[in-house]
Amino acid sequence: MIAAIGRTFREGVEEVGRAGGFIAESAGASRDVGTWLPRVTMHARMLGVDSLPIALFIALFTGIVLALLASYSITGAVPLYFVGTLVEKTVTMELAPVLTGLALAGRVGANIAAELGTMRVTEQIDALETLSYDPYAYLVVPRVIAGTLMFPIVVGLAMVVGVAAGWGASVMLLHISSPDFVKGLRLFFTTFDVRYGLVKAASFGAAVTLIGCMTGMRASGGAEGVGQAATRAVVYSAIMILVLDAFWATVWLLGKSR
Amino acid sequence: MKRTNDFVVGLTVLLGAAIIVGTTLWIKQADLRNKHERVSARFRDVGSVRVGAAVVLRGVNAGRVQRIELGRDGWVEVTMALDPDVELPKDPVVLLNESSLFGEWQATITEEAAIPRDEAVSRQIADARGAGGEMLPGATLPDIAQLTAVAGRIAGDVASVASRFEVAFDDQAARELRGSIKNFATLSAALAQTVRVQSSNLDALSADLRQGMTRLAGSAETVQRVAQRIDSSTATGEVRRIVDDVATAAAQLKEASDDVRTMSRQLGRSQGRLESLLSTTDSVMLKINAGHGSVGLLVNDPALYRNSDSLVTELRALIADFKAHPKKYVNVRVF
Repeated sequence: MIAAIGRTFREGVEEVGRAGGFIAESAGASRDVGTWLPRVTMHARMLGVDSLPIALFIALFTGIVLALLASYSITGAVPLYFVGTLVEKTVTMELAPVLTGLALAGRVGANIAAELGTMRVTEQIDALETLSYDPYAYLVVPRVIAGTLMFPIVVGLAMVVGVAAGWGASVMLLHISSPDFVKGLRLFFTTFDVRYGLVKAASFGAAVTLIGCMTGMRASGGAEGVGQAATRAVVYSAIMILVLDAFWATVWLLGKSR
Repeated sequence: MKRTNDFVVGLTVLLGAAIIVGTTLWIKQADLRNKHERVSARFRDVGSVRVGAAVVLRGVNAGRVQRIELGRDGWVEVTMALDPDVELPKDPVVLLNESSLFGEWQATITEEAAIPRDEAVSRQIADARGAGGEMLPGATLPDIAQLTAVAGRIAGDVASVASRFEVAFDDQAARELRGSIKNFATLSAALAQTVRVQSSNLDALSADLRQGMTRLAGSAETVQRVAQRIDSSTATGEVRRIVDDVATAAAQLKEASDDVRTMSRQLGRSQGRLESLLSTTDSVMLKINAGHGSVGLLVNDPALYRNSDSLVTELRALIADFKAHPKKYVNVRVF
């Protein structure tokens, strides 16, 4: 049992070390701009633009449900225009980044892990190395940069759609007037809310693409290995999104409220 | 394909950024065209007012708080962006206050004459005005927390009074209070009875008064009639005769008075004689009591009384014997 504990600890440390080494390799490869820059837009379209429908769909229904939930929760002495406040704060600062990040972790993370894993098991990555291509600069860096840049765009649009959906639901379903909803929306709004959400989204994008690339590059054992890599990518990405969410809340929100 | 990707991504990024920034600016109500008029005010403390808080003029939103910064000499300077064409009231001041119970604050621009009658607020306004410059004077009204703190202190005082009352109001006090109430009820009944009696007395008095007034009215009529008769008498010479009769009566009264005075003097002399007689009698009686003289001895000596009584008895027997046998004592002979 003691040996099992020791082995688990050693494997954990090795995993962290490999992740650190992978990140260091990627950072080093980012200097090879000529290799990764032409490929960024392709990945940006695949990771970002093509993810917009699912992200906006999630935001649409999140905003509607959140407005109804807020109305249900604040009946009584609290005026209904606080529905706008609650929708804005919740969608902008938490739900749009996290739910979109989790959705893209499944879509983008699994996609990257499967693609790179297949390249790994079919030795395409070895072929790249043989052709003097740096696989990090060619495969990892453009994806990470594309994910880091596009996640905030997707999440930002999800914020707008989520708030607009909450607005529409408040007007149509809750009979809150538009001026009242806008009053609540503006009541405690600060640009910090948006910045906080977008920075979180960028960190989620970097984490999801890095984890996808790392699990894919380390895939082995044929199709089964590729499948395991995709699964690990999704699981690790989801965990990392929640960890980063807590990290930003602790570091930024807690520091700001003091 | 690469160009297509570049275009789509570029378009998405631009549109996304434009939408996000535009929405943020709309929610924030940013003044991009810079058409607002700026007004500054100074305060000692701005409470919980934040940038973006509403500026209210006569109950209408007229702008937003644009900047809050610390100034010199312990002042806080608040810059407000007012909507175009907003006219400030005469002698304007700025009050910072809560606009709801949920922590929202606003800046209210109003006339100085319309500010609440509060010493602290007036002092803040005067203090800010005294600092000079073009900034409007401002004051901060107490927030809900301060008001609830005061209310809490009042509630504590009330609770303290209630607890003291509870301590003071024990069973004995309750019994005494009950007794007092009972006594009060008795007193009230007695007072009511008294009031009823006095009321009836007042009614009677009122009736008497009314009757007296009626009689007085009758007397007045009588007097009036007498006066009329006097008037008529004056005219017929009766008054002259009455006056003569009164003079005659007065002379007779004077004579009677002289007789009474004479009688009084005679009575005085009789009184002197009577007093002399009484003193003589008193002297005689004293002597009798002292046993002087025959009468005194007779009154004070029992033996003498008994002898006298015996003498009287013997005299009676003698008289009876004399009546029975007169010849025994009287022997009349004629020749």
